[in-house]
Amino acid sequence: MSQRLHIELDHIEGALLRVLGTVERRGFALLELSAGKPDAESYALQLTLEGARDAEVLCRQLERLVDVRAVRLLPELLLSESEPSFHATWLKS
Amino acid sequence: MDGSQNISTITRTGAQWLLQALEAEGCDLLFGYPGGAIMPVYDALVDSPIKHILVRHEQGAALAADGYARASGKVGVCLATSGPGATNLLTGIANAYLDSVPMVAITGQVQTHVMGTDAFQEVDVFGMSLPVVKHSYIVRRAEDVYATVREAFAIARSGRPGPVLIDLPKDVAIASAQAREPRYPTGKPNTGEPEALMRARALIAKSTRPLLYVGGGVGMANAEWALRSLMRSTGLPAVYTLKGLGAVEPDAPFNLGMLGMHGNPAANHAVQECDLLIVAGARFDDRATGKLSTFAPNARVLHLDIDAAEIGKLRAADVGLSGKLGEQLPALAQPLNISAWQQRCREMKTRHAERYDAPGDGVFAPALLKQLSEAGGNRLIVASDVGQHQMWVAQHWRVTRTAAHLSSGGLGTMGFGLPAAIGAQLAKPDASVICVSGDGSIMMNIQELATLRRYGIPVKIVLLDNSCLGMVRQWQELFFAERYSEVDLSDNPDFAELARAFGIPAFTVERRDQVADAITRLLSDEGPLLCHVKIDPRANVWPLVPPGKSNAEMMGCAA
Repeated sequence: MSQRLHIELDHIEGALLRVLGTVERRGFALLELSAGKPDAESYALQLTLEGARDAEVLCRQLERLVDVRAVRLLPELLLSESEPSFHATWLKS
Repeated sequence: MDGSQNISTITRTGAQWLLQALEAEGCDLLFGYPGGAIMPVYDALVDSPIKHILVRHEQGAALAADGYARASGKVGVCLATSGPGATNLLTGIANAYLDSVPMVAITGQVQTHVMGTDAFQEVDVFGMSLPVVKHSYIVRRAEDVYATVREAFAIARSGRPGPVLIDLPKDVAIASAQAREPRYPTGKPNTGEPEALMRARALIAKSTRPLLYVGGGVGMANAEWALRSLMRSTGLPAVYTLKGLGAVEPDAPFNLGMLGMHGNPAANHAVQECDLLIVAGARFDDRATGKLSTFAPNARVLHLDIDAAEIGKLRAADVGLSGKLGEQLPALAQPLNISAWQQRCREMKTRHAERYDAPGDGVFAPALLKQLSEAGGNRLIVASDVGQHQMWVAQHWRVTRTAAHLSSGGLGTMGFGLPAAIGAQLAKPDASVICVSGDGSIMMNIQELATLRRYGIPVKIVLLDNSCLGMVRQWQELFFAERYSEVDLSDNPDFAELARAFGIPAFTVERRDQVADAITRLLSDEGPLLCHVKIDPRANVWPLVPPGKSNAEMMGCAA
């Protein structure tokens, strides 16, 4: 089952690695990633994930990362409202 | 200089700022090993009041810092150089991560202009450690060093504690700068629902067979008093994890013992029979639950934890409360009418009381450990290594407080015991620190006998020697059709001779009638001492829940 997450994180060294590592180690496959253009202090990600585990637990695991500011599990209806300014997509092979 | 002085008007090197920040955090002791990239820090240490303990392997530094933190409740600090020094720290950092121990690990790094070029002794320890740290930094400017260290301490000890890594390039340590002020992370909003506490109380009120499942979080939250008070006022029965040992009063009437793979049958049966599991600072670890789908099959779950991410991770909670156990536990107190359940728990506890009447005249390790812990009393701190002896300590040592039982729970790190005991003894100089190890584990960090000798650290080592890797041998006997594979250690060195070669007094015990004198000596000798105890290689740890089985299916105990 796929899920979409909106994540705001500090624009500091290692923040993105920490988020993506947490997602994969906790049992979710990354289907799509979109990154907003960073400002001096922060930036936003949207992730589309697939996994059998509880995505709400993953959200809490991401929230506890020091450089993550906020995590939201996106309802489908909100997807178009959160389009990032910069878009990079990798499709799962 | 302390944190109250105006740091922005002073110019120092990055290395000096690092030590100033450690001082400001109250750090008076760190464990480490020098090398090329960390040399500026070691140079600055010459002028610092902070005491440095030279270990003989960087893993020993990390594990000693871990033991220091567990025994004291303070942040443990370890220091190593880049490359192999840093990678040698990693096992100790992972150990701290899995057991939520506050630690700051500082590694030297090659100069910033050669980072990423595969320079001599360059390794990406920041990347390698990402899965096993609470947070980490590469400090790229000297003006950030002081603030980074202060922020790292705050992160390491806040909320659910954990290790924080600071990677410090050599040129940053050498450069001079004025320091910026720390920017401490702001707390994140509590995810608990406002009415959750009321629902938690209602769950307890409706329950006829409630049971506390106590984890390491209780001790780490300094909530032992709150737990014990709740148990006294309500009569709630309790079971606990390996890391929860010591949270419940040992003589409490409804202390049912440790649960799980080598738990007390009374504890495991109570979990299977309860109708409400009150989980306090525990995380449904597989060694505690056995086959998860069969764990507490009739129970609703009230889960209390400082870390919201633990709630619902492995078992759905009917009510989850993320917050401070010291505040939550007292709020659950209420009159309960559970006398029939208490009587049932009392019966199970009596039925499954430990026995120490093993036949023969060889040393029976469980009895030795029980007698030693009772003779030493509250002044003892035990640091256990990993293996059969670890489980015997958990089952038979009389633990009166959580900080008096140091054990590698999550990572199960053979080699933990000796360096952890060193850290604990230095943190608590007035305590009597006993390291209980095995002939497999002791060899993982045997070099730290030199650290004991150098500083005269009076740790007493009880080395239970069965001439094999006992826990692996036990599993091969029971679950691999007695096909013994690489578990024989009958060519061990003479451990007493080995200790003496390091300058540590030692003696050997082979018979049961020698145990009383050994205990007397262990509790009365002034300095470090190794007691080499030869035990039966065939001895197993009982009871046992076979891997993948329900906790209801214990081997080696009465039905």
